[in-house]
Amino acid sequence: MKILIFGTSDSAYMSAVYLSKEHDVTILDDQETIPDAFNNLDVSYVAGSGADIGALERADAGNKNLFVACSERDEANIVACWTVKRIADIETVCFVRSVELYNNLMSYRHDNYRAPYDIDTVIWPEQLLTQDIFRIVSVPEAIDVEYFARGRAKLFEYRIKKDSFILDKRIMDCHFPDNVIIVGITRENYLFIPSGSTVIKLDDKVVFMGTGGGLDMLAAKFFRKTSKIKRAAIIGGGSVGYLLAGKLEQTHIKVTIIEHDKERCRFLASNLRKALVLHGDGTDFELLESEAIGKSDVIICVTDNDEKNLLCSLLIKQISTGRIITRVSKAQTAHMFDRAGVDVVVSPRQAALQELINHVQAHDVDILALIEGGQGEVLRVTLPESFPPTRVVDLSFDAQAIIGAIQRGRRIIIPHGDTVLKAGDLLKIFTMAEDAEIIKNMFSK
Amino acid sequence: MKREYIFSALGLILVAFGGIMLSPIIIALIEKNYSGVLPFLVASGVSLTVGGILQKAGGFLRNFDKLSRTGGFLIVALAWLGTAAMGAIPYLFFGLSPLDAYFESVSGITTTGATVFIDFSLYPESLFFWRSLSQWLGGMGIIVLFVAILPQFKVAGRQMFFAEAPGPTEERVTPRIAHTAKALWLVYFSLTVLEVFCLVIAGMAPFDAVCNSLSTMAAGGFSPHPQSIMGYGSPAVVWIITAFMFLAGSNFALQYRAVVKRNVKFLAKNEELRGYSLIILTVSLLLALVLFTTEDGAWHIALREALFQVVSIVTTTGFSSSDFALWALAAQTLIFSVMLVGGCAGSAAGGIKVVRVILGAKYMRREIIQLVHPRIILPIKIDGKSVPETIQFQILGFLFFYIFLLTLSAYAVTMLEGSASIGLVGTAATMGNIGPGLGEIGPMGTYGNLSAPTKIIFIVNMVVGRLELIPFLAMLHPDFWRLGR
Repeated sequence: MKILIFGTSDSAYMSAVYLSKEHDVTILDDQETIPDAFNNLDVSYVAGSGADIGALERADAGNKNLFVACSERDEANIVACWTVKRIADIETVCFVRSVELYNNLMSYRHDNYRAPYDIDTVIWPEQLLTQDIFRIVSVPEAIDVEYFARGRAKLFEYRIKKDSFILDKRIMDCHFPDNVIIVGITRENYLFIPSGSTVIKLDDKVVFMGTGGGLDMLAAKFFRKTSKIKRAAIIGGGSVGYLLAGKLEQTHIKVTIIEHDKERCRFLASNLRKALVLHGDGTDFELLESEAIGKSDVIICVTDNDEKNLLCSLLIKQISTGRIITRVSKAQTAHMFDRAGVDVVVSPRQAALQELINHVQAHDVDILALIEGGQGEVLRVTLPESFPPTRVVDLSFDAQAIIGAIQRGRRIIIPHGDTVLKAGDLLKIFTMAEDAEIIKNMFSK
Repeated sequence: MKREYIFSALGLILVAFGGIMLSPIIIALIEKNYSGVLPFLVASGVSLTVGGILQKAGGFLRNFDKLSRTGGFLIVALAWLGTAAMGAIPYLFFGLSPLDAYFESVSGITTTGATVFIDFSLYPESLFFWRSLSQWLGGMGIIVLFVAILPQFKVAGRQMFFAEAPGPTEERVTPRIAHTAKALWLVYFSLTVLEVFCLVIAGMAPFDAVCNSLSTMAAGGFSPHPQSIMGYGSPAVVWIITAFMFLAGSNFALQYRAVVKRNVKFLAKNEELRGYSLIILTVSLLLALVLFTTEDGAWHIALREALFQVVSIVTTTGFSSSDFALWALAAQTLIFSVMLVGGCAGSAAGGIKVVRVILGAKYMRREIIQLVHPRIILPIKIDGKSVPETIQFQILGFLFFYIFLLTLSAYAVTMLEGSASIGLVGTAATMGNIGPGLGEIGPMGTYGNLSAPTKIIFIVNMVVGRLELIPFLAMLHPDFWRLGR
């Protein structure tokens, strides 16, 4: 596939890194030479503006399959997408950052207006991140949550603590509820697919897949008291903090937001219904203590500054037993955060990337989720018509992989060894990122 | 402000008012009561003449586009005092002293409904009609009326429109002020006609139905019957009037929008309307409970009486379906408690207005929360939108002044009359444009026996309360008179 990326922002870089592995990527930006970071990637570069039809012609936009606009400026991205559409009818993906523009482009409310905006996909990284965080917050104790098949199949990731009933047990000896399986374990930042004889150790992060009901049973077994989330504290009232607070409010969770800019505080207070908006700094320990931030069930640090997020998380860790979710922009530092004791590390780039990659994949294979910073992937694979009925135990994978769920018609089946796979089944397969290609090829034959 | 503007505008208003004053003659002719013709001919003639002289003094100015803010205030205030004076002339023909006539007229036009009449049988129908009509004219606001019907007030109307009804929000149903005024009058007029129709169906005599409807929609409270609504002895009438009083006390602009857009859902979202309904329901239920335990009678009668009386007082109408001055003290206290609330902003009701009460309550709540969370940013919201600080302070200032003037007047009247109940309740009833108070000045009583200074104080209360203090407060500042001269 030939892909043209407009912009050299961080998102553009992340996309280029991922996409250039398998596809022909051209970067278009109005700087004279390509920024240093891109030099170690196998991509070509064209200097010029995305809104300039001449520059797009020079970049041979007409012969590309996909156009990704992710420069720093929203308006430039939108104009670039429109301009490309005038050259050729290729798929366009547009990154935006402002709420208003996103709503203009995406909201269903505006669908009935006369002319649609001519952009195929709009990606707003912050909004995707908000959804990610919201999913995680809504499941007590979980450190990662993904939903499949409209929420009927789910993926939860839990950290194994001292009092866990599966600690130091082999997986085959654990009695899980029906319809739940372990698909992956992260130990010391390394993700692997376990076998029945793998022993679960302290501080392992275990990835479960299953149906909603099954996972609820599991959660009940894990945590004797099913503590409902009642209070959430958000440090940083940027667009992620604002959107998240709005969503949490709707589920009747009491929200406290700490924001250091007074004007922004006013904005938050007048646009949110019930949230407690405090003017102050998230690293002000006295403020955190006097407002009892530590008593919240979940604390979410989403300022736009990684260092500040880390410092906040560490301060709160001193006074709180709640889950701490922290935003990080640089993928490299995510491990650091993890080691420092932050429970959940989330990144807007990763959320956006996942969305983008799905546009590049063949149509019968989708990436539904990236796990552990992209180490693992959940793929959706449709079994072709020619596929003979096969029992799961008889299926030999060419690489490490595990079938997490089968969607057959309207049913969700969590497979065990005797389950028979049939043509037309939708499989959710958990695999390692480096093996994803092998698995894809296995089924697309 | 230019003197010419004031004279010409006032002249115009008086001429138009003089024209309207001819209408009771129709009633007199229908009822074949020819003694009722002369007073209105004279009053109308005086109004037209004074109006003409004022216009001449003002040089027949027709373009008020450059009217200043203070000029607007002055015109509004003088228009109310002037039209009330013209409206008082017919009463003089029936043996009322000039002060009593002016009291009755001001009470009418400010939709208060406090009366000095003692024996209702002395007066002809045309006078009762005029009493109710003057309330109806004042109900929507004299200025709103003239902005709607006089094209000269196209632009300047805006200044005066908001000087007359300086609610906390500048609300317009249509972009043009004259259209807005017309739309509001349309709602007002249609509801009045509807009420007349309902009352006639319920068996009331057409003349009484018209008079009572005019008073109801204006939230006024003058009834041609000496015993007010109680005199008709009909539960159906009580229920109909309760419903229309409720409408008279809610925002007309909102009702207009609900009808035009054929959508009533947003009414439920309106915080003021919700608060208004909630106050009425809560106090009515409490009052019903008190009535049920202290008075004889079935629970449904207690409920009907309670609801009627609470709506009547909250909307500042002042009708009574029974003599509440004779009720138990607990019931009277409940009645007094809602006297200070008033209806919704942009309605015919007087008083403090529900939206100001809500805002005051929210302000207090914020003060408490700020003690617990010193760093909190907590805007005060009405209908989910933050109220700008300037408006917050304006409303707080209003509340403060209202209570201040209330206290001042209550002290003065208490000393004059030697009765704390007349002092406090009478002040609340006149300043809130409610009408009947408790005790001697209760629904079956009269203001006629009070001393002259008390009546003057009450007249001032009524006008000041009706114009929501602001134009008068502005006049107290010396610069008001200096600027633009």
